[in-house]
Amino acid sequence: MENLINLGVFIILISCGYVFGKIAEKRHYKSIINRERKFLTLPAVSGKNPVGEVPPIRRAQLVQGSVVISVDYFKRMLAGLRNFFGGTVRSYETLLDRARREALLRLKESCPGARQIINLRIETSSISKGGKNRIGSVEILAYGTALYYDIGSPSA
Amino acid sequence: MKYLPSLPRKNDNVSHNHPLREFFLLLAGVVALVLAAYWSLGLFVDFAVERISPEREARLFSAAFSNGADKEDPPSDREAALQEIVDNLAPCIDITFPVRVGVQESEAANAAAFPGGRIVVFSGLLDKVKSENGLAFVLAHELGHYKNRDHLRLMGRGIVLVSLTAMVTGGNADIARVVAPARDVGQARYSQSRESKADRSALEALNCHYGHIGGATEFFEAMSAGRGGVDIGALHYFSSHPELKERIDALNDLAGAMGFSSGEVARIRFEREDAGAAEEGRPSGWRDQ
Repeated sequence: MENLINLGVFIILISCGYVFGKIAEKRHYKSIINRERKFLTLPAVSGKNPVGEVPPIRRAQLVQGSVVISVDYFKRMLAGLRNFFGGTVRSYETLLDRARREALLRLKESCPGARQIINLRIETSSISKGGKNRIGSVEILAYGTALYYDIGSPSA
Repeated sequence: MKYLPSLPRKNDNVSHNHPLREFFLLLAGVVALVLAAYWSLGLFVDFAVERISPEREARLFSAAFSNGADKEDPPSDREAALQEIVDNLAPCIDITFPVRVGVQESEAANAAAFPGGRIVVFSGLLDKVKSENGLAFVLAHELGHYKNRDHLRLMGRGIVLVSLTAMVTGGNADIARVVAPARDVGQARYSQSRESKADRSALEALNCHYGHIGGATEFFEAMSAGRGGVDIGALHYFSSHPELKERIDALNDLAGAMGFSSGEVARIRFEREDAGAAEEGRPSGWRDQ
C-alpha cells in the first residue's frame, strides 16, 4: 500500500513537473526571443574598449542584471538518473541557457538610453550547493559598463 | 566589414532531443541494474543460508531475539498446549532442533517465526482459530519456514535490498522512491513463493500427524470472512503473502493431488481467554502465518 502511494505521489509530482516546467520554459523562451529582438542594436561586448567609431562619451556607468531560475521536479529527476550513468546533463542545459540570456536582458533593460555595454561579465552560482534539500536553482549575474553618448544618434 | 546584428537561427547551447525518451531509458537502466544485482545477490544469500546450521543460527541469534518467547517464567497453559502441538509436528516436518513457542498479547491474528527457533503466536490468532487442527496448520506453516530456512533467506535478502538501493541511488530519496516499487514487487514475488512452499510443507505435516488435513484452511477462511471479501486488486503484487482465496484454493488442489482427505477436527485443549473479537492487524513480526 505504502509503495503504491509512493509511486502515485511520484507520478503526480513528475507529471506536474513535466507539464508545468514545459509551459514555463516555452513562455520564457518566447519572451526572451522577443526582448532579444528589441535589444538587437545594443551591443554588449566583453572587451574593455568601445566597439567601432564612437562619438564623445557623456557617461559610463556600472550596470547589472541577475536572475534566479529553478528546475522543475522532472528535470531534477532526470539529472539524478543521469548522475548514475554519467554523460551530458541535458535537462539542465535550458535552465542555464535561459538564465544567462535573461540576466543579460535584464542588464540591458536596466540602462535605457545606453549605446554600448562593454566589459561584460557573466557569473554563475548555484543556490544551496549540494545541500540536503537540493533546490536545484542557479543565479546568473551579468554586469558591465554602460556607455552613454553625448549626441542623440545611435551608432552601429 | 560591416557588423549586422541578428538573432542566431538555432540555439546550439541546448539539446533538442526529447527529455521523456531519455528519462524512460535511464529509468529502465537503473531498474534493470537493481533487479539484476538483487537476483544475483539473492543467489549468494541462498548459498550462505545453506551453510548456516540450525545450531549456529541459534548461537548467532540468541542475543538478538532473547525477548518474548525466551522469557524465563514458566509457560502458560496456552503456551504449553501450543508447544505440545509443535513438538508433535516437528518429526513430521524433519525439524531436529528445538523450537520454542511463545504467546504475545496482541490483536493481530498472526504468528511469526524468528531466527533461532522461536515461534511467536499473537493472541489474536487464538481467537480466530477454533480447532486444534487449525492451529496445528498455522504452527506447521511456521515450522515449514524453518525447514525451508525462509526466515534467514528473507532477512538476508532484506539486508541486500536496503544496502543495494542505498548504494545505487546514492542517498537520493527521489530516485529511491522510483526504484522502490520495482524492487518490492520482486521481493513480494519471492516471499509469496516461499509462503506457498511453507503452506505445502504444513499440509504434509498435518496429514502426517493427524492422518487427515481437516482444519487446514480454517485460519485463512476466518481471515477471509473477517475482511468481508474486499478485493485488494493490484496491491496483491506488493503483498508478502499470496491472497487468502488463492491460498485456500491451492491447499485444496494440493490435497486433491496428494490424496489427502479431510476429517474430524479436535477442540483446542486450553481455556479460551475471552478477549473479544480480534481485528486483523498488520503483522508485527516480519514473518507471519
